[in-house]
Amino acid sequence: MSKQIEGKNLPLAGKISNESYLNRVMFLVLIALFGIASLTIGNYFSTATALNLIANNWYIVILGVGVTFLLVSGHLDMSVGGIVAMAGVLSAYFCQPANEGFSELGQGLGMPYGVAIGLTLVCCLVIGALNALFIAKMRVASIIVTLGTMSIARGVGQVAALGAQRSAGMPDIFGVIGNVPLFGPIKIAAAIAAILVIVALYIEKNTTFGRRTYLIGANREAARLSGIKVERHIALLYLLSSLLAGITGILLASEMKAGISTRGTGFEFSALVVTLLGGASIDGGVGSVLGMVIGAMILGVVSSAAYSMLLRPEWQFILKATVTFLAIIAQRYLLDRRSR
Amino acid sequence: MESNVLEIKGLVKDYPGVRAVNEVSFEIKRNVVHCLVGENGAGKSTLIKILTGACERTCGEITLNGTDYCARNPKEAREKGISTLFQELNVVDQLTVEENLTLGIEDTICGFLRKTDKIKKIIAVLKDLEPSINPKERVSRLSVAKKQIIEIAKAVAAETDIIIMDEPTAALSESEINRLFTIIKRLREKGVTVIYISHRLDEIFTLGDYVTVMRDGKHVATKPIAEVKDRSELVQMMIGKTVIESYTPKEKPAEELLLELKDVCNHKLRNVSLRVNRGEIVGFYGLIGAGKTELARAIYGADDYSGEIRLNGEKLGKSPEKTIRAGIALVPEERRTQGLFTLLTIKQNISAMNLKRISKLGMINAMQERNTAKDYIARLNIKTDSMDKETSKLSGGNQQKVVFSKCLFANADLLILDEPTRGIDVGAKAEIYAMVRGLVEQGKTILFFSSELPEILNSCDRIFLLYEGEIKAELQNGIDINSQDIIHIVTGGTAS
Repeated sequence: MSKQIEGKNLPLAGKISNESYLNRVMFLVLIALFGIASLTIGNYFSTATALNLIANNWYIVILGVGVTFLLVSGHLDMSVGGIVAMAGVLSAYFCQPANEGFSELGQGLGMPYGVAIGLTLVCCLVIGALNALFIAKMRVASIIVTLGTMSIARGVGQVAALGAQRSAGMPDIFGVIGNVPLFGPIKIAAAIAAILVIVALYIEKNTTFGRRTYLIGANREAARLSGIKVERHIALLYLLSSLLAGITGILLASEMKAGISTRGTGFEFSALVVTLLGGASIDGGVGSVLGMVIGAMILGVVSSAAYSMLLRPEWQFILKATVTFLAIIAQRYLLDRRSR
Repeated sequence: MESNVLEIKGLVKDYPGVRAVNEVSFEIKRNVVHCLVGENGAGKSTLIKILTGACERTCGEITLNGTDYCARNPKEAREKGISTLFQELNVVDQLTVEENLTLGIEDTICGFLRKTDKIKKIIAVLKDLEPSINPKERVSRLSVAKKQIIEIAKAVAAETDIIIMDEPTAALSESEINRLFTIIKRLREKGVTVIYISHRLDEIFTLGDYVTVMRDGKHVATKPIAEVKDRSELVQMMIGKTVIESYTPKEKPAEELLLELKDVCNHKLRNVSLRVNRGEIVGFYGLIGAGKTELARAIYGADDYSGEIRLNGEKLGKSPEKTIRAGIALVPEERRTQGLFTLLTIKQNISAMNLKRISKLGMINAMQERNTAKDYIARLNIKTDSMDKETSKLSGGNQQKVVFSKCLFANADLLILDEPTRGIDVGAKAEIYAMVRGLVEQGKTILFFSSELPEILNSCDRIFLLYEGEIKAELQNGIDINSQDIIHIVTGGTAS
């Protein structure tokens, strides 16, 4: 508008961006929830609880990284849960011994573990490429396409595991990577998640790749007219997301020493929910990896507290939904009030 | 009854970092047409938003009919006596005129509609204002002008004290404007006060009784129109400084061909061929739908075409990404939907077109980006308290300067400007004209697309006239140029 006011008169909230403002608020919510849980539940306030929080939520965080980048660019990815299941089953199938098992479920392709992992990730990238083709190139709505590829990926998992799971005759190396202990309940998978988050934080804010993601999400047409290769960028994001989902599936299968075809059910929704809890906008242009991690921790605290309060597990869904609704309504309210 | 229908005292509205309305005080007399003028960003729209309850004031008093006035939403404002005719009309297209008039105030028995005297009364008001509207007609079949009349009738029937009209003539034809003016004069006789906002200053002289001028959030003056000498006095009050410059032919540089189009055709364009030399400002003038934007976008590679476009002898690729690399930048027609990332900050917008220049191996140099933003904010005089402000919070003129900064940072040889001054205020327009001249002196070449003839005549060395996707004439700008001939050609007449 017009007249500027001297710095000292500026309201404090005006100095930081909406994103860091929301991140701070959500962090306070996390602390508050943790505090309430600690006060009401005996023994809740302990290192073990904190470590368990990390040990039980790392996979949502890895998936959340890919989903956050996509959501920032204005796209959804509902296929990640299906890819988790497919990757788990395929990685088992590829390295189960050939011509040895008694049943069909014990029969594999007998590949070395490294080759099996590589081939599994290629299969995941094929799903990502399907997403990219239909969404980036042919401009079909992302929700429709990824719901379809979610079914395809899960279907491949179901077929390859004959609707059950592959766990017979697994070579020992299969169970290693998912079970390397670091300290307490934390295994190497959680460390991989942490490294991915740090890398993602850097990419998001300090690279042209991250910036282009925001530009495309904020205004796709303006991004195109500014010389950004929009289609290629969206395709890359879908490939990245499917790759991360593949890694998650392989780690989870290794942890259990089994490729389970029903694994990862609902993960796509959890990943979306934690991203939204972190302040991302479903219309794109807004969101952050840091917020997503805080969101995942909030959801983790809520479910572990519910568990400790001996709430029956079937109530968890309703509890999580309530927290999510409240958090997102609060965010909307705070942002509206801020811009008044 | 008081002679003042509305009194505003010490009104202030603060947005974070910006005072949009600053200690504004003035009175509005009963039964007059009171005009409100000012550049974009002068605080008019914020003032209107406060009156209609769309936003809250920070402090100050408003008195309506001698009693304290405060509205929390447009409905409450209407009930208290202030109705508004927004640019976006508030009618339901699928319903009939009659249903629209009674919308929200229907008489019902157990949810069933009932025909009562109230409807007859409202229709009588409508008949009185504009007899040609049939109450049974579906609103979607009416023109914008008639939809406006429906809204006015609704307000009059509700015995409103004040009707605020925000740029009501923007989408109307000449004869419709005259009819609206007749109606406004009738409203005055009926005891309604009209607050009239328009950028077309001529209308203010034909219609207004009083005028209030605002500038930079402050109240400059309120006086009877009769006391305002002429248009330029009003412009003077609005901008506070003289800005209008006229075209001065400059020395012709050595002819060096930069851009060449050969038989460019697409869904709109028909065999466009032309040549542009380095260092020229070339204007493209035509009415809406003449193909200006289509030509600009074809050169930029944003739309497909057949034919050939060469820059510096090299054939241009057909995507913005390729043409930017070749040295072209576009200031698009629609600032908000095509030019600006409104969710993002000024800093992030300025660097968007040339991320390579502020990065190494894909990593952004934050220092360099901040310095770039600081540099352009100073050079283009962008009014803001921080480079980290979201561009959605800037006024139109400042937003356009951000788009210009973005294109300048792309370091293009050839700048395509598509309606670069649309919807921005007089002061910012003048700054943009000056900047265009400065760029040419630095060796840039400008293609200036506009549907405003005065700015084409002020800025351009050479002018192409477009009609129905074809170039109808090419003119050298100079003293002997005749704007009557130009209008003749762009409306489909043959060149003499």
